Amino acid sequence: MIENTNSELASEPLALSRAIRFCHWLSVLAVFYLLISSWWMLSLPLPSENSTFRVLPFQLHKNVGITLFLLLLAMLGSFILRWIKENARTDPLQQLTAKIGHGSMYLVLLFCCLTGYLSSSFSGWGTELWWLLNLPQWAQESDELNAFFSDLHLWSCWLLILLIAVHIGAALHHSFNSDGVTDSMLRSSNKD
Amino acid sequence: MLSILFGVLFFASNSNELLKQGVLTTDAFAALQAEADCRADELEEEGISLRECELMLVQVEIALESSPDWFRSVQQILSASGIAAALLSIGLALNLSANSGSSSRFSLRILVWVLGGLVVLDSVMFIAALQTGPLLRAQYLWPLLLWFFIHLSLALGARTISKNINDKLSYPAGKF
Repeated sequence: MIENTNSELASEPLALSRAIRFCHWLSVLAVFYLLISSWWMLSLPLPSENSTFRVLPFQLHKNVGITLFLLLLAMLGSFILRWIKENARTDPLQQLTAKIGHGSMYLVLLFCCLTGYLSSSFSGWGTELWWLLNLPQWAQESDELNAFFSDLHLWSCWLLILLIAVHIGAALHHSFNSDGVTDSMLRSSNKD
Repeated sequence: MLSILFGVLFFASNSNELLKQGVLTTDAFAALQAEADCRADELEEEGISLRECELMLVQVEIALESSPDWFRSVQQILSASGIAAALLSIGLALNLSANSGSSSRFSLRILVWVLGGLVVLDSVMFIAALQTGPLLRAQYLWPLLLWFFIHLSLALGARTISKNINDKLSYPAGKF
């Protein structure tokens, strides 16, 4: 009887709350939008007094990026708790790879958002959050720092694409194997 | 899972298309008086050559010159429909994975229709892109053809699964 209960518990996915799953899928949409739109917007004519092509795409990019950063912070606590619970449930190798994969993804995502914001702060262009709130200009315009953070932003985003590919590959692998791992992001927890 | 993955990619692709159609306007182009503003410091910051900077404006000109007058508004409607359909397909696929029983069968039936709708939408987008000039057709047609076959495969796959489930429910194993 006890054995049965333990094996059922081991195979049962650690379901996440509805709010966390919603945040996860919202951040997925945001990340893919940011990636695809950024490749296109950098091909637009350079900004000047008369050239306004980049204004809307860049403002939107910054707004979605800042919102994504806040979403990630909100999700971080929940994932740390989940990792602690996972220790008792899954095999050590899976634990380790999941922790490295998720941890690096979170770090790179946060780093990517942060460097983008810093680059923008030193660019001299203001940020109006969703056209409602003017964020304070706390930094002086600096071409060197703008270029430095812009490079960091660019390279961390290339690294992010690599991590996303690994993450999606792992999700598809578990999904095709029907081993219940991806269910935590799809199924409701008992608390829902 | 595949439906969610392609739904996310289609959402991102159509969001960018909607943004593109909102930004690339004849008014914005006219304000530039067909002259690219390529300052040396900006070129260095972007890591591009003067010629590349000039061609960025040419790219906008291509988009405006190659499209008929109606193309921008039609593309806006089609890409907004694409965003809505992509979000719906993601929601239905998530519901399908999260629930079982009659609720999931209902989601699957709706998902088949939504994916079928996306096949139709891809076809309409393809026909609309056919009316543009060769420079824009080169940009649009191949991705649209790819999306058409992705959605067609997903729609037929979902339909087959739905049909198999219905058959099993109508004729349970061992009954006859």
